[in-house]
Amino acid sequence: MKSKKLLTLAGVIFLALAMAVMPLMAACTPTPEEPTTPTTPTTPTTPTVKGPLKYGMSICMTGAAADKGSPMGHGKLDCIKYVNEELGGINGYPVEAVWYDNSYDAAKAATIVKKLINDGALFFTTNSSKMMSASQEIANRAGFPGIASFSAPVCTNPPQHIYAQMPDYGDDFAAFADYYLKNIWKGEGKPKMALHLLNNSTGYGARDAALCLVDELGIELVATEEHAATTISEMESLTRIKAANPDVIFISSTPAPTAVVIKNAFELGLYPGTVIGCAHASFTSAMVDIAGAEIVEGVYGVFPTVNWGDDVPGMAKMTEYCQTYHPKDYGNMDYITSWAEALIGCEILRLSLESGGYDKLAAGDAAAWELVEKNGIQKLDYDVEGLHGPVKYTAGDNRLDKAVRVFQVVSGEITAVSDWIDAPRIPYEKFPDKFPWAKP
Amino acid sequence: MGLPCGTYNYSYAKDMAILRTKTHWALLIALLIVVFTAPLYWDNYLLGVANLVGITLIAAVGLNILLGYCGQLSIGHAGFIAVGAYTAAVLTGTFELPFLVGLICAGLMAGLVGLIFGIPSLKVKGFYLGIATIAAQFIIIWFINHLSITGGFTGIAVPYASIGGFVFDTEASQFYLIMTIAVLCVFFAKNLARTRIGRAFVAIRDNDLAAEVMGINLFYYKLLAFFIGCFLAGIAGSLLAHWIGFMNAEQFSISESILYIGMVIIGGMGSALGPILGVIFIRLLQQGVMFIAPMLESAFPALPAGFASGISPMLFGVVIVLFLVLEPRGLAHRWMLFKAAYRLWPFSY
Repeated sequence: MKSKKLLTLAGVIFLALAMAVMPLMAACTPTPEEPTTPTTPTTPTTPTVKGPLKYGMSICMTGAAADKGSPMGHGKLDCIKYVNEELGGINGYPVEAVWYDNSYDAAKAATIVKKLINDGALFFTTNSSKMMSASQEIANRAGFPGIASFSAPVCTNPPQHIYAQMPDYGDDFAAFADYYLKNIWKGEGKPKMALHLLNNSTGYGARDAALCLVDELGIELVATEEHAATTISEMESLTRIKAANPDVIFISSTPAPTAVVIKNAFELGLYPGTVIGCAHASFTSAMVDIAGAEIVEGVYGVFPTVNWGDDVPGMAKMTEYCQTYHPKDYGNMDYITSWAEALIGCEILRLSLESGGYDKLAAGDAAAWELVEKNGIQKLDYDVEGLHGPVKYTAGDNRLDKAVRVFQVVSGEITAVSDWIDAPRIPYEKFPDKFPWAKP
Repeated sequence: MGLPCGTYNYSYAKDMAILRTKTHWALLIALLIVVFTAPLYWDNYLLGVANLVGITLIAAVGLNILLGYCGQLSIGHAGFIAVGAYTAAVLTGTFELPFLVGLICAGLMAGLVGLIFGIPSLKVKGFYLGIATIAAQFIIIWFINHLSITGGFTGIAVPYASIGGFVFDTEASQFYLIMTIAVLCVFFAKNLARTRIGRAFVAIRDNDLAAEVMGINLFYYKLLAFFIGCFLAGIAGSLLAHWIGFMNAEQFSISESILYIGMVIIGGMGSALGPILGVIFIRLLQQGVMFIAPMLESAFPALPAGFASGISPMLFGVVIVLFLVLEPRGLAHRWMLFKAAYRLWPFSY
């Protein structure tokens, strides 16, 4: 018994010592370099070896979001291939896509962002708001810039080192509501609006924006209903909406449930008669196919990119690469989104390279990240070859592209009915009790 | 535990000791030295993976107490981790309470929620209890998404952990924090299994009717197992929240719960070593397959689209299936076989 006590005592002493020296050992370990203020932009020097510019990507190639993540991964990797093979890289420097599959797993995404930091990536991108939310705090703490293709307001509020490539679901509501009031609403007084929302951040992004904006815009919110991604009938919720007699219904969801809502609205006689608008997550050809072209005829929707086949400068090359390397993705708007993301990424690298020189970027450290952020991301003024709205940084607003276009289903085809509409920044911080994450 | 050939114990105390020879002590100390000096030669990525392994280990140790020792199936473990994560996030982020208060409260809150969902365990067991705990997963996540204090669907930011003015703001310092707590949890679980409580858990697992006849209070011990298992899940959740820095309910899906069961099964249920081996195996396998798709794509550009990215989850699945077929009793059993062979070395008889 005596020896057992001694052993236990020794164990306890060891653990106590381990606890006690923990801060000391932590202090002895190498600490990340403090960010340094970038020097005045200089003329790029000509290096002897033209090494790669590392572009970090955390992609949901597999897992629950692979239906969106896979074409998005293909789009951006194909674009990098195009930049390297046909444009000779950026000012002669090849772009290296350092990418990992996060499998739509938050824990994995957290380790991937650390890996990208370690690999010397100059910035990173994610294609989903969930993956960015799992990565953003690590990146913000390190000063490692990131861009979310699809984002939620929480990714960019308060503005730190994470940027949104395109408007978020809240912006969809803002842009559609503005378009509706100016171009569709012909009645007197405030139009009555109902919301039908997917029960996750896709739906709640629109709801949060509505809570902030309806009074300011002059809209009366008469009903808010939720649905699940697996819903097969929304007759009950739509019956409640019908009783509220709305002028317009805004749906923020994904294609399949949106199709269910519109079909049920059609069966209840709520549509046509009421205007229906959709957020960008659902407004794709898949929604039209599922619901049936006759039923969704006339439905409005917003989307932040152009459509396949549109006459814009970037369309031909993107189509060529898509049909050569990933023909199954042709027609998928997500491919356009991520091709555009890679074009923006390359433009950021070009601006950074021209202002700071390769040697500074090659370090892939805090100083390089600051250079990329200050002289690359924040100096953007780029038309993305017409594939989506122009990207430009505005101080205090980390959404790079604020524009969406309004589309309408006409003869079964998704047809643009407006030019680019800038979604106003939504002042979430004015409602700290509702949106504590937006506090400055 | 077997001993090397020619080594004997001469007292009950020696026979019951966790570490019984100088070799055991030397190995343990060497392991602890290797682990605790790792930040000196590991980069931030490796430390990040180690931190994830440590956090997962704490939760898996909890599940092993519940499932491996007491035989109570829980398919809602990620939900209990979420309770701990959000409790810590709200207490330290919103109310700015100290990290240690948040850590303890996270464990207690998850333990209390575990008690509530453990109540059906007296009436139902096996798959039926599994279904009841799935309900826990969904109910907890629903509440998190609909409470304003948790940030709802948006999520909530969590500050760095800090103790007495020392902020754990580097991967290395977080490593020391997480590993110390993980070591303490493993030590606690190992000892728990040797106590009256641990033996009661095992008796309930093996035959609850016989255990009750022997005088074991089933309701008390089953609820105790839920409390301890979920307490550790809450501790893991708290550390996860401070490590990632941002919590969103989508991070605690049912697939995570199932993965935790997989870790305990692959490691070996009902042993202290099982969760350690299972967690390391699964987490490293996950990291390993992460590299495969980019490597294949760059090495073989002619591969059909989607093949490289598709092969990672396939490989992950195949490895797990092969493992369950070839070693259904888990990695811990394989380790026991190895030790048994070593015990007789150099004589095989």
